[in-house]
Amino acid sequence: MKAGVIQRAYLVPGLPHLVSSAPVESWEALRKGFRQAGEHVKGLKPEVLVVYSTQWISVLGHSFQTNPNPKGLHVDENWYEFGDFPFDLRVDATLGTRAAAVASSLGLATKTVNFAGFPLDTGTLVALRFLDPDNTVPVAVVSCNIYAGQEDSLTLGRAMRQAIEESGKRAVALACTGLSARFFTEEIDPRTDRFSNPEDDTWNRRILNLISQGKNAEVLSLSAEYAKAAAPDMGFKAFAWLMGVLGTPNTSGNVLAYGPVWGTGAAVIEYVLM
Amino acid sequence: MMDSGKILAGFLAPHPPHLVYGENPARNEPRSTGGWEMLRWAYEKCREKIKAWKPDVILVHSPHWMTIVGHHFLHVPHLQGISVDPIFPHIFRYRYEMDVDVELADACYEETLKEGLVAKKMTNPNFRVDYGTIVSLHMLNPDWDIPILGISANNSPYFYSTEIGQEQMVKLGRATARAIAKTGRRAVLAASNTLSHLHYDREPELVEDMNKEVIFNNNQYQWDMRVLELMRKGKTDQLMTILPEFMEKTAAEVKSGGLTWMLSAMGFPTLPAQVHGYWTVIGTGNAVVEWDLTQSARA
Repeated sequence: MKAGVIQRAYLVPGLPHLVSSAPVESWEALRKGFRQAGEHVKGLKPEVLVVYSTQWISVLGHSFQTNPNPKGLHVDENWYEFGDFPFDLRVDATLGTRAAAVASSLGLATKTVNFAGFPLDTGTLVALRFLDPDNTVPVAVVSCNIYAGQEDSLTLGRAMRQAIEESGKRAVALACTGLSARFFTEEIDPRTDRFSNPEDDTWNRRILNLISQGKNAEVLSLSAEYAKAAAPDMGFKAFAWLMGVLGTPNTSGNVLAYGPVWGTGAAVIEYVLM
Repeated sequence: MMDSGKILAGFLAPHPPHLVYGENPARNEPRSTGGWEMLRWAYEKCREKIKAWKPDVILVHSPHWMTIVGHHFLHVPHLQGISVDPIFPHIFRYRYEMDVDVELADACYEETLKEGLVAKKMTNPNFRVDYGTIVSLHMLNPDWDIPILGISANNSPYFYSTEIGQEQMVKLGRATARAIAKTGRRAVLAASNTLSHLHYDREPELVEDMNKEVIFNNNQYQWDMRVLELMRKGKTDQLMTILPEFMEKTAAEVKSGGLTWMLSAMGFPTLPAQVHGYWTVIGTGNAVVEWDLTQSARA
């Protein structure tokens, strides 16, 4: 069997504000970038989308969704006014199960979850609404273990890569994460949305600049400092997972969009791999 | 204005789903062979008292409804659904159905604003109630025949600092007490919190294997006992003083604010609390503790 390949990879935001129709300049720019990415994904005709979401939090190791057909209705616990997220996904349970087994063999605590009614997270659903709105591609979703550091996140990504290669499938990888994660903690007029801390913007741009030059290894090295300075979403470990999947290439990331969402940093970044 | 409401009691009401799982209620799909009886039996004592009081409402502050913008109050008259615990889905898949006291939610919202805090009412009927709220409420009143009011845990203790977070919870508690008084409710409070919170990240094959159930480390145990001893002696001032250190040393879940909210709402009572039981769940320290204000009213 031909080895599976990762056709393209994305780092995308997962806040529900982006699925609203609120006419906010930065949100609109991010929607546009998201839609652009969605068009690219559609053209690639991948056989699976592998997703890591910082909003699917786990504490007993790393969880892998293996319910073949999760169905339900999700409401965000913070921004429930942005409405409901009905979902009816096709999950590549074989790939998820294999990735969990590989991760376990590499020393990580893993768990597969196959339960009707299991809650999906906002990030995964936001990303899929833009990147596969017609729900045509099966997904493999993995959780964000809040205790995992960069090394474990890289290992988790490597496990997914191995599982993809063994599967023989064409895959697109999605790391669903914010950048700086300092929210405004009061109500704001969304039209005035901006970075809650201007220094966070500076840090985000520094990271994005390195990514756009293909200096992904340097971003990994800087991640701890970035985490301390700008409090990125879950320590920016979603990026480490993505680099684990991709093998930390020198490929430049194309920043399709960047801007604030409720004070935090968000970007749509695309890695063209083949 | 009625202005005759009062708080009957407050409970530290930890929410590991293991307690529901161990009990095997019809509402929870997975079956167990028992386990964690010291905590479950402790809750049984609370259930009897709550039944006898016939309160109008149980308010619960849950760390598993964590909100970023302000303090939120459930504001849908009737909520129901299936709650599958995202962390422990293999042991908690629970069918819930609850009546929400929206009039009290309105009053809490208004009083919270008066404290200078940000507040919101959760009005989406499809909202999935968090498992912390559900477990604490089930353990206190499995018949679900008393209206409830769920309150979110604003993440200010994590976003800013423990000090700022606890200050907010003190204000939220004051606001809650005024709202209860103004609406004439006879209320029971529940702080849905574990004590020490460092835990194991792997489970035994038999989840309820009590041979594997021990405290994560002795430091946690010593801290839990120190805190419980202060509760038992009614030394609430001292308790409040050491809480920040307790949170730091043991990653105590009370950092999310429920305990401080509840003690503030009760006016930081100095009556001795009753510790009904203590036990560990995957290494965390859990205690069911009661402050019976009806007792102090009689004294």
